[in-house]
Amino acid sequence: MENDLGIFFSLISNTLEYWWVIVPATILGIVVGAIPGFSAANTIIILLPLTLSIGPEAGMIFMVAIYTSSRLGAGIPAVLVNIPGTAGAAATPLDGYPMSKRGEGQKALSISFTSSVLGGLLTTILALILIPWLSQVAYYLHSVEMIVVMLFGISLIATISSQDTLKGLIAGLFGLMIGYIGADVVYEIPRGTFGFLELYDKVPLVPALVGLFAISEAFVVIDRKMVANQSVKDSKMMHSWKQTFNGIKITLIRWKHVIWTSIIGLIIGVIPGAGAAIASFVAYQQSKNFSKTPELYGTGHPEGLIAPESSNNGVTSGTLIPLLIIGVPGGATAAIMAVVLEYHGVQFGPDIFETNPMLGYGPFVAMGITYIILGFLIMPLTRYFSNVLLIPTKYIAPLIIVFTLVGSFVPRAYVFDIYVAIIFGIIGYIARKTGYHVAAILIGVILGPMLENFFLRALRISQGDLTTLFSSSLGNTLWILLIISLFVPGLKKYFSRQK
Amino acid sequence: MDVFMSFKSKITRKEKKNVLPDLIIPSLALIFTLYYLTTITEAPWIAQASAIVVGSLLILLIFIFFIKTFFMVRKEKEIISFSNLTIDKPTSFKRLTLLVLTLCFTMFLELLGFTLSAIIFLFFSIILLSSIKNWKNALMISVSCSLIGYFIFIYIFNTQFPRGAFENFVERIEDGK
Repeated sequence: MENDLGIFFSLISNTLEYWWVIVPATILGIVVGAIPGFSAANTIIILLPLTLSIGPEAGMIFMVAIYTSSRLGAGIPAVLVNIPGTAGAAATPLDGYPMSKRGEGQKALSISFTSSVLGGLLTTILALILIPWLSQVAYYLHSVEMIVVMLFGISLIATISSQDTLKGLIAGLFGLMIGYIGADVVYEIPRGTFGFLELYDKVPLVPALVGLFAISEAFVVIDRKMVANQSVKDSKMMHSWKQTFNGIKITLIRWKHVIWTSIIGLIIGVIPGAGAAIASFVAYQQSKNFSKTPELYGTGHPEGLIAPESSNNGVTSGTLIPLLIIGVPGGATAAIMAVVLEYHGVQFGPDIFETNPMLGYGPFVAMGITYIILGFLIMPLTRYFSNVLLIPTKYIAPLIIVFTLVGSFVPRAYVFDIYVAIIFGIIGYIARKTGYHVAAILIGVILGPMLENFFLRALRISQGDLTTLFSSSLGNTLWILLIISLFVPGLKKYFSRQK
Repeated sequence: MDVFMSFKSKITRKEKKNVLPDLIIPSLALIFTLYYLTTITEAPWIAQASAIVVGSLLILLIFIFFIKTFFMVRKEKEIISFSNLTIDKPTSFKRLTLLVLTLCFTMFLELLGFTLSAIIFLFFSIILLSSIKNWKNALMISVSCSLIGYFIFIYIFNTQFPRGAFENFVERIEDGK
């Protein structure tokens, strides 16, 4: 025990020596997280030459600090202008944006940051303690279970985020079909590529994210003169600490809510591919289901903001667990981290915690330190972030288009990817205007290739027998839960009508 | 009786939702799925299976949606009409022009590089969304934001943003050529 504590404190002191990496990365993470389309993954890709040149430990700490702080930064545009900075913040505007429209932008940001910091810090500590046990979850999920988990994720988003479940399911499955574009990984047969060589390597995710969220929003936002209406503008002019402290108080009162929704994030984060977007929607739905006031969700209810923010920050530590233990990245950012660590010759596996604790436990310690820095740094800045609302749309819409479109060019340096972003922007615009949730399409695009790989593996093992999808007890349990989740909203509506 | 009549007239006057725009995404999804399925005919069964399962499910849901819409229209709760599309003409013009400007920005990006393309795009877009009277502000914001973008992403972080005349010129000055 004493030995463990000794290692823990030496890890903290070693990590603190990298303050010169953590502090600028934290500030940068907040800024890039707040720019729609400039996700942590994108920023890490942009700064790859820098990350590769500073050694594995400093590089990993740098990436973790950007990843963690961008998660908080992504909540800023989600709350203030209804554009999630990253897909993980897609559930944040559901209650954050209505609060902003009521003139409570500073309070909403304060709730968002407090729940993010508390949720993130708690799950980081939990992850450090539970690493040996949590890693077991991933071992139970084989191809069949992963197929059900992914379809479960899509169906949850369809039922949660859309007013119309049918529209939500169509959007999610359409996204999956788009995600299937590209050359087959085993047989290398091009599918659905329209003859474009650039699509052989699947649909690029960054342009899809930029198009569906940022470009479509830029085209929607020009309907209004200002991002917010006049009354909000008036309230923004009165910078007071009252709303900020009120937001902190509201979150602290709901500490139990922060704990269980962040744990949802941690568990979902461990499942490769599930990620922050699914975690935030699952936490939102569960929060709504167990709430005494479910009718307030979607109208600017604090609990509806706490749930997605605590859970998507819970994912940040969860997503590193499968990466470090079995070498399977939990999401896009973790995949980039894997590339950087592999470049430095780091071997993943349970041994990493024994042979190189700074790389095994270090990222979690760095994450915890980043959250503590964020707690002190972001709160005084909260009130100033509200000023984003005062930018007239005639300026903000073109700026969003320029910087996010060029951001979609960065990962592969193809102008083609900018056209992909524009096409996704048009699809996203139509989807927004007609009630199809863009997050469901995006999650489909992200999960499509992974779902296909798991299908391929499962069918190769069963020699093409589709009944293999119902061959596992855990998988069957998940199938039943999936079906229940599809019918629960309809049954709830039916019974409420009967009453 | 009067109350009943006025209530009835309110119902008849109540605008029915035109669901034509709602059919765009399912139609796109249907066309794309059918196209996709034609491209996998040569693949072995295990490589086709996931697309066939997901694609069939999607087609089924789209047909359910079409049937649901058909019955709603038949019950006169919704309408499908090309003439009744509520389009705000000035905003639609702005949106379409902004899309054309965006396409032009993308086309000229490789030729002019990030900074010059961004200045031109931002200047014309801001004028489009405000008015020609705002040209001074438009010029100031487009030049300053593009230069800030250049400074952060190209000059400091050396990211692979598209480079053109301006970026090459600054590089040459730096190299002392």
